[in-house]
Amino acid sequence: MNKKIIVILIVAIILLNGCALKESSNVLNVLNWSSYIPDSVIRDFEEETGIIVNYGTYSSNEECLAKVQSAKEGTYDLIFPSDYMIELMIKRDLIQKMDLSQLTNLGNINPNYLGLSYDKNNDYSVPFIAASVVIAVNRDLVTDEITTYQDLLSKDYRNNIVMLDDQRIVIGMALLALGYDMNETDPVKLEEAKDWLLELKPNIKAYDSDSPKTFLISKETALGVIWNAEAALAVQENPNIEIIIPEEGFAVSIDNFAIPKNAKHVENAYRFIDYILRDDVMVKIIEDYPYKNVNKKAEASLPESYLKNHAANIDDAVFHRGSFVENIGEDIVHYDKLWAEIK
Amino acid sequence: MKKYDSKIKWLILLPIIFYCLFLIVLPLLYIFIISFFQNDYYGGIIQVFTLKNYFQILDIVYIKVFLQSFLIAFMTTIICICIAYPFSLFVSEKKSRYKSIFLMLVIIPFLTNSLIRTYGWIVLLRKEGLINTVLSQLHLIDEPLALMYNNLGIIIGMVYTLLPFMILPVYSAVDKLDRSMLEAASDLGASKWQRFIHVIIPETLPGLFNGSLMVFIPAIGYFFISDLLGGGKLMLLGNLIKNQFLVARNWPFGASVSIVLIIITFFLVKLYKKAGGKMDDLGGF
Repeated sequence: MNKKIIVILIVAIILLNGCALKESSNVLNVLNWSSYIPDSVIRDFEEETGIIVNYGTYSSNEECLAKVQSAKEGTYDLIFPSDYMIELMIKRDLIQKMDLSQLTNLGNINPNYLGLSYDKNNDYSVPFIAASVVIAVNRDLVTDEITTYQDLLSKDYRNNIVMLDDQRIVIGMALLALGYDMNETDPVKLEEAKDWLLELKPNIKAYDSDSPKTFLISKETALGVIWNAEAALAVQENPNIEIIIPEEGFAVSIDNFAIPKNAKHVENAYRFIDYILRDDVMVKIIEDYPYKNVNKKAEASLPESYLKNHAANIDDAVFHRGSFVENIGEDIVHYDKLWAEIK
Repeated sequence: MKKYDSKIKWLILLPIIFYCLFLIVLPLLYIFIISFFQNDYYGGIIQVFTLKNYFQILDIVYIKVFLQSFLIAFMTTIICICIAYPFSLFVSEKKSRYKSIFLMLVIIPFLTNSLIRTYGWIVLLRKEGLINTVLSQLHLIDEPLALMYNNLGIIIGMVYTLLPFMILPVYSAVDKLDRSMLEAASDLGASKWQRFIHVIIPETLPGLFNGSLMVFIPAIGYFFISDLLGGGKLMLLGNLIKNQFLVARNWPFGASVSIVLIIITFFLVKLYKKAGGKMDDLGGF
């Protein structure tokens, strides 16, 4: 009896799969980070243009790479890789050159965020939003002065820190704390970074990249080394959470619009990018997801709550002190091993 | 049951064959093949034969990951056994109407996704969670107990998620026990404990092995429990494999770890068969 039901279900799944994808010329296949653009913005775009948006999500650059690489060419029309992933995708010939003249709202972008190291002439990418790693401190629980990563080693913070679950960011933090470059690959210096992280280990309560703000809001931990938007949301819940820009340096990241090679709906992709670059649309996005805004024109209409939130509204000059995660080729093996060692 | 003629039988089997071939056999074959290829450190695979990926597993760091995983899985299995036997003995003595109610209670949580149930545990176990709040309101504790974001949290989550896989086979073995044997043991002067060790355990060994296998093997791979309840501080085999595919961009190494895990699983199943277990019992209850 059971087997019959299973057979019927499998047949049904196979049949239904065939009808799920309707091919239509007026669609746009977007692959984006999860929780990054509010649904309302997508719906408004669909209403305004009549383009149907098929929306897929990923939660890491590597997942995006895996999806783009393994899918049939032309599956996706628009993706949102970060800095180092743009560089990698250019190298692997996965994304196509952009025709910037199609974007009427390109001028809205803050020129500080154009022509950066990973794509010097913005041939392949247009910046969408930026983020930076900060230290968040709940002042209800910790009153000490904290200015550096080194301060986090204090024995007073046993089991009291939430850390991003990201090997490049965490090992990079240790390297910065020791005065080295965040993308250092020298085995001797990495060994020092390992010892530093082992010293920090008893202070770490959890590694979490998905929702570290929850740890701060629920007072599970008093400190966090997290992305600024997460910190900003925590500050909204508890104004006594203070944001500290680590003196030794910090990781920054910029997510970009990019069009995969042989995308089928390039026109629609440009229309979508241009729509998102509109200042009023960008304001809507930033209101929901308080990352660092790179849209100059949108700045004028950003809400007071964003401008006053130091975690969200990172100063441009501060942002430029940060470092990007860089592609380090086969040296990533050392990072990966180190990561298994400190966990 | 109606007898099908062979054509219809094939037609009905076809989807299952299709399913096994394309969704299980071929992907596994693919994993097996790429585990012998080199990687280009950018998520690509270079089709040049190498055994490097397998030698890399022998690195002390990764052996530690194997040992940690086995330790957690082993403890999970032991705790599940300790809960499953008393439960099974208790339920098997009940009237059949109550039996089905108890078994139903074991299965009902399965109707909810295990990830959501794991999130439920966070609400209970965290520092300002339900358990700590109640205990401190009752003045039973001064400091909140560290119930999660450590190995304890991982074990709680694993045991909770995998317990039914132990209870069901152990129960079905205990339920089939010949009661007269237990009575004979008592008549011959065996204490309750002696009866358990010398009669119940040997007689239910196949069920015990079956359950242990079904708990131990998934426990090695459940990375989301160690991420959510352990705070991502302990790297288990499941985490290591996931990292190779999604973070380190080293698919061949991830594939080779998976293959080693599959070989270990085969080995455990062989052991199970040797101990007298039947393959059919592994398929369902």
